[in-house]
Amino acid sequence: MNFDFVLYLVINTAIILAISPLFVSLIKKVKAWTQGRSGPSVFQTYFTLIKLLKKEVIYSPNSSRIMRVTPLVTLAAILVAALFVPLVFVPEPIGGIGNIILFLYLLALARFFMALAGLDAGSCFGGMSSSREMSISSIIEPTTIIVFAALAFVFKSLNIFDMFFLTAASGSPATPTLILIGISLFIILIVETSRIPVDNPETHLELTMIHEGMILEQSGRNLALMELSSAVKMTVLMALLINLIVPFGIATTLTFAGILIAVIAFMIKCSVLAGVIGLFESSMAKKRFFQLPSLFAMAFFFSTLIIIIEVFS
Amino acid sequence: MIVELFILSLVILLAGSIFPLITASFDRRFIRTFSFSCTIVASLLLGMLSLMTLLKGDSVFFILYQPIPGFSLSFVIDRLASFFLFIIAVVSSCVALYFTGYIEHENGSTRRNLLCSCTNLFVLAMVLVVASANTISFFLFWELMAGASFFLVMYEYSQRDTIKAGIFYFVMTQLSSLFILLGIIVLYIISGSFAFLHLSPVSAPLITLAFLALFLGFSIKAGIIPFHKWLPYAHPASPSPVSALMSGVMLKIAVYGIVRFLLDVFTPDLWWGVLILAAGAASAVLGVIYALKEHDVKGMLAYSSIENIGIIFIGVGLFVIFTASSLPLLATISLLGALFHALNHSLFKSLLFLTSGSVVYATGTRDIEHMGGLSRSMPVTSALFFVGALSIAALPPLNGFASELLIFIAFFSSVTVVDPLFKVILFISLALFALTSALSAACFVKAFGSIFLALPRSQESAAAREVPRTMLIGPAILAAACILLGVFALQIFTIVGFAVPLPDMLLVGLLLLGMAVLTYGALYFTASHEVRISETWGCGTLSQKASSEYSGHGFSEPLDIIFSAIYRTRTKNERIFFDQKNCIFKEGRGEIRLLKVFEEYLYRPIAQQSMRLAKEVSRFQNGCLDTYLFYVFITVIALIIFLGWFA
Repeated sequence: MNFDFVLYLVINTAIILAISPLFVSLIKKVKAWTQGRSGPSVFQTYFTLIKLLKKEVIYSPNSSRIMRVTPLVTLAAILVAALFVPLVFVPEPIGGIGNIILFLYLLALARFFMALAGLDAGSCFGGMSSSREMSISSIIEPTTIIVFAALAFVFKSLNIFDMFFLTAASGSPATPTLILIGISLFIILIVETSRIPVDNPETHLELTMIHEGMILEQSGRNLALMELSSAVKMTVLMALLINLIVPFGIATTLTFAGILIAVIAFMIKCSVLAGVIGLFESSMAKKRFFQLPSLFAMAFFFSTLIIIIEVFS
Repeated sequence: MIVELFILSLVILLAGSIFPLITASFDRRFIRTFSFSCTIVASLLLGMLSLMTLLKGDSVFFILYQPIPGFSLSFVIDRLASFFLFIIAVVSSCVALYFTGYIEHENGSTRRNLLCSCTNLFVLAMVLVVASANTISFFLFWELMAGASFFLVMYEYSQRDTIKAGIFYFVMTQLSSLFILLGIIVLYIISGSFAFLHLSPVSAPLITLAFLALFLGFSIKAGIIPFHKWLPYAHPASPSPVSALMSGVMLKIAVYGIVRFLLDVFTPDLWWGVLILAAGAASAVLGVIYALKEHDVKGMLAYSSIENIGIIFIGVGLFVIFTASSLPLLATISLLGALFHALNHSLFKSLLFLTSGSVVYATGTRDIEHMGGLSRSMPVTSALFFVGALSIAALPPLNGFASELLIFIAFFSSVTVVDPLFKVILFISLALFALTSALSAACFVKAFGSIFLALPRSQESAAAREVPRTMLIGPAILAAACILLGVFALQIFTIVGFAVPLPDMLLVGLLLLGMAVLTYGALYFTASHEVRISETWGCGTLSQKASSEYSGHGFSEPLDIIFSAIYRTRTKNERIFFDQKNCIFKEGRGEIRLLKVFEEYLYRPIAQQSMRLAKEVSRFQNGCLDTYLFYVFITVIALIIFLGWFA
């Protein structure tokens, strides 16, 4: 393992931890604007996290060790997954870091623990949400894999680092195929981060919530970790989309100026994407749970279509 | 050296099988302990010799016994055989270790000695099948294996379910033997030899027939859908360690059979690969969908075995497709993926069967709806089951992920190379494969959650205690193997001499650990340390009850509805009214029943037809001496005419 790579690990983790809460608030802000409210400050998520860290943790007497380790495992898995998607600087991949399938399954690891923690306290809400989360994640999986296979097909590589290298080298905005894949990735982003129309991140009503229900029994510092990990997950998926479709600005060599420019460029692009997500969410209502399979089927056929176009042309 | 070790282990297994038979009338603990020690010692020897051949990569051939020229009981231990010997060795030693504790809590006094004897015989038969160097001894030991496993399934013979399961298993396993025998005979007709000879690549109808017969035979034994029905019957009926052996090892012997014939005898066609791939993908998806619906813990594991065998067949199918399209590199990756998954599945599935056996022993029920809350009363068992669940759900950095990743990589790399029609097939299979692994995660969240988490749902579950230490060591070894094989997957492949494009799971594991430690450290210095234990909020109810929890049924309900087309339930509504206009309701009955699709539309019609045929045939046997004399007379006349005509 060379020095560049170690530096990459530090830089990537530090940046993602520092900026990811911002985009959560930013989406909320955009949604508030569209509803004619002024909304919370864009730094509100940071304040919430700090507040939660100072609070006590409450465990249910029914809960087991799963409840206690889940926040740690979830954040660790998602932070490692975050290393697979370079935000601002793309080094040479080492030891298979950047493998797109492993990336997907690290997210699945976090989800597995979260779903178990939802069942752990014995509360009905947690179980309901775990069940829904596992169902949704199962039926979106074929689409995700097909989209990733399409990416692997287009770039002739399984490694996200290689993909970013290629897009960064070409410099121009993406080819038509990549834009189509981008649309599929956007759908996956919405589903994976539990947003409208799949889930509503703002309600705590038992009939609508999925992700929020699973972490309903979490409190204090554990809740802070869960909130942070969902923010990181969202930013990582956004970064995957951004750096594939609009790669300009991303650094492939390690210089201070290059990194600085890359960070600024990334912040701008990511803020725009956050705005798009906010508008997208404001423009539609949450779908009924059992209408979701048809939505996913649509996404699946869409991505299969892309591949067939690619394969036969 | 290797030959001597092999024969020594055979002798020890034989001793472990015969000794409890001789002393069958004594109900003593040491007899059974001795018998299982024999299994463990023999397994260790086998494990040693298989590692030696695996690492060196040479093969040993020897003849044990030759009654007549042209036929011998000869054995060959090459890399493939020693790989499967290794699987047998690891799993049977751990299972035997567990069994020494488990068997003392079984009822059946002296019958338990027979159980020991049969277990040893079963292991012996599997070892001999794998090492066989010709098709005839392969078949003989295959039958021995089938017989021994039948007796193991029938252990609780006084129970109704067991009898049904046993008969079902026996019929299916004999059907499998029948097809294999057919394949072997056809091969003999083609090549004139019982050895595993490589046939010339010309595709004659006879070769295709031989392949189809063997494929069918091995599929039945492996539990490929639609020949899978014996698994969910036989596994719940038999003692848990036996299920672990059968699911962990015996199914792999069927995989071994098909791989051995594909590698050493046939030059496979492309469409064979597509057939194997399709069978594998169908089994994988349907297996896991049925597993989600199952609430008998061992039935659930049986369906999950069907799923995993499906995944192994997907790998084998890819291997055949790539070999036939002359892509040796990808072919190697997919075969390695399939074989590695066979090893991994045998580890985590036997781990899961053993730990669920402990759970069944502690709670006295197999229904997961009556369990719950066991993680506090059985902490070690729950931790071990958890490792198994993580592995089978293919989560990094455990072993199930490593092997599924190899198959994923083969799929992903293949889309760039094969021709368009196959691309479409590969894409569909890839999507199904992805669905399978995601659903199996859902399935094991449900299983672990319902069995071990939240509040106990029955008094038996609340009263459950941790099992004795002897029943923890075996599973613990398996769990450790699951973790090690996952984390060191890349290193292991390098040692064995294969360059595979796997990511370095050790690095990923260390990164995970590092992140967790860093997070913990950061929290330790910044966050509040206060902890309070307080009741789960239950919408204002005074105390939380188990009945308000989410049940296993509830958990799988969304997926039930989404896949309702596959489950095929039949709803029945019968209503009786007082008046003729159907206004005043008198009484009614409603039921929703799960259709057993394969049983009702495939197995039963075939069984009925063969019964009818048998009835027709039985008319010739009326038990009257005169009739039989008449048959003899007719036969003699026919013979005379035949000889006069042709000779």
